[in-house]
Amino acid sequence: MASHGVPRIAPTEARTGQARQKELEKIEEYVDLVAQVNKNIAERHFTIEVLALTSKLLKRNPEDYTVWNHRRLILQHHFKNPPAASAQSQSVSTALSASQQSVLDLITSDLGFLVPLLVAFPKCYWIWNHRIWLLEQSTSHLPAITVRRLWQDELSLVGKMLNRDKRNFHGWNYRRLVVAQLELHSPSDGHADSSDTSRQTSMVETEFIYTTKMINSDLGNFSAWHNRSKLIPRLLDERQADAAARRKMLDAEFDLTQQGLIDPENQSMWFYHQSLMSTLSPECPRHAAIVLDLTNHDRCGYYERELARVKEMLDDYQDCKWVYQALLQYAAVYREVDAGNKACTTTEMRHWLRELQRLDPLRSGRWDDIEKSLGL
Amino acid sequence: MSLVSGPGRGGITEGQLPSELRLYVDKHVTYIQSLDKRKDELEYWLTEHLRLSGLYWGLTALHLLGQPDALPRSEVLDFVISCLQDDGGFAAAPQHDSHMLYTVSGVQILAMLDALDEFDERVSGGREKVARFIANLQHPKTGTFAGDIWGETDTRFLYGALNALSLLGMTNLVDVDKAVEHVQACANSDGGYGTSPGAESHAGQVFTCVGALAIAGRLDLVDRDKLGGWLSERQLSNGGLNGRPEKLEDVCYSWWVVSSLAMIDRLHWISGSKLQEFILKCQDPDHGGISDRPGDMVDVFHTVFGIAGLSLTKYPGLVEVDPI
Ligand SMILES: [Zn+2]
Repeated sequence: MASHGVPRIAPTEARTGQARQKELEKIEEYVDLVAQVNKNIAERHFTIEVLALTSKLLKRNPEDYTVWNHRRLILQHHFKNPPAASAQSQSVSTALSASQQSVLDLITSDLGFLVPLLVAFPKCYWIWNHRIWLLEQSTSHLPAITVRRLWQDELSLVGKMLNRDKRNFHGWNYRRLVVAQLELHSPSDGHADSSDTSRQTSMVETEFIYTTKMINSDLGNFSAWHNRSKLIPRLLDERQADAAARRKMLDAEFDLTQQGLIDPENQSMWFYHQSLMSTLSPECPRHAAIVLDLTNHDRCGYYERELARVKEMLDDYQDCKWVYQALLQYAAVYREVDAGNKACTTTEMRHWLRELQRLDPLRSGRWDDIEKSLGL
Repeated sequence: MSLVSGPGRGGITEGQLPSELRLYVDKHVTYIQSLDKRKDELEYWLTEHLRLSGLYWGLTALHLLGQPDALPRSEVLDFVISCLQDDGGFAAAPQHDSHMLYTVSGVQILAMLDALDEFDERVSGGREKVARFIANLQHPKTGTFAGDIWGETDTRFLYGALNALSLLGMTNLVDVDKAVEHVQACANSDGGYGTSPGAESHAGQVFTCVGALAIAGRLDLVDRDKLGGWLSERQLSNGGLNGRPEKLEDVCYSWWVVSSLAMIDRLHWISGSKLQEFILKCQDPDHGGISDRPGDMVDVFHTVFGIAGLSLTKYPGLVEVDPI
């Protein structure tokens, strides 16, 4: 969309005559190529040769969405009118008809074309979109087992992408989509005798393990923490977890954050801790809840324990604003629940607020508002 | 007129920073005007796919700088109309396909130039045609919007649709309640919003979702303190803002974050003066334009969002911008 992280370079005037000539030639070549593709598409010449021309353009400029559209028109044409499969592309899985095989060949080769582009331009929306479109096309043209194999390969691709860039939100969105599709195209589909398909097709357990793996390799990976917070409620539902199992899960997650908070500047950890705390609220929606039968007494218990744990951090970290922020925030909610006041006093809260004002002047407006709203 | 997009070329010496922290208004105006005259640069051709949005960004910047006439109105209008397609959508440039993103830019330019009536005169039933194009992209079940006939959905398109339709006075063509429901489904427990249900909060998506709720008159659905807290944490010690926890600062978030804060009345939760300092450091003092971070290549996208960030934080001498 725009240039990010590109250092400023010499302006136009500084270009030598030769460099200028070279650039003009490049422009001419590019503009010619665009005109050639446009002309062919306008005349509905949806040939493999024109497809190759769009490849040439897209390698140079993957942001040109219209060229991606042209590419889809060409592919669509071939999906509808598949050429007779050549002898070389003999199907491995004999279940495919000749025309299905040629559709599969087109899709596989286009998916392959996208891989180096994704690696080079991991933030380009259009490349990810085209990939999803290809896979959706496979659903309408190919047998379920083949479709499933394609999606299966996507899971390993997106795993590799996320290893390269652990926070790429296109990557995480794509992972959620791939998982949803794999659940949809599960092999157990169509077996009328399978009594509980939801449990057989769900990947929530393996995805939960995946977030653990990503978190273990980098406790600061907020994207993994985020995904985890979305998976846990579903995981518990699918396990048909009872009240005790739910509490055990919540405790385990709180313990995990304790490990992460060894580095008190780990923002991801604090946000995750905050999201666990928010599940304690009576206003927490069912789809986000972990423990379902919390009484106010339980709530106070959790607040008291977590407040004590965070307070303990003050022994070692007196200049970390996150500690004070968490204390103040949780104390405010704690006071609301059952007028709890055992775990903290107003004097303490006032002290935490002063520390925040001292340590974090950028957000002084926020701390001043909190001072007023809490009557500190 | 077919202009104003794509990275321009910045300063001569690498990483040269402005010597004094002031806004180089004239340089920025000249920079934006020059973007049309860069046809001898490959970059000009490689950015044709966002020309109409580039024009919108350039014009907005000029409006905020108090020089709305620095680009010739009639040529701008001619170009906008040349991007209109048979289906009622606007493309980024003639010879490109319709898309929500450019349709929104087209409508925004027409509204900014007070040219919606003129548009109807030149293109019979033009407004209605454009509104129908947008309305047809709403997904009836989920309430969300696709970008074009190919069907990809994103909260960016939902916000754009509501924004353009409200400028056209035709939000009645779509199911606003359903759209609001979809926005709600994208909400996260940190108070922010993601690009689709289940996705991580991201400042750009927060802007689109809060903007959509503002247009729908449903800001009551936002947890202002929670979201304001999350947004205020986007400010880093150098004054710049990032888009998600533990990412780098970038001038474009001056718009997404700050306008979201303004919409929920929490603008004072970050330091405006520190942000202004950061934006001013990203200027190219010699050739105009603003970049993502100090010393980087400028482009019109970061130029407008930098100037809008300055305007939102009440930098003197700028026209005040509407956060939505
Ligand atoms: Zn940016």
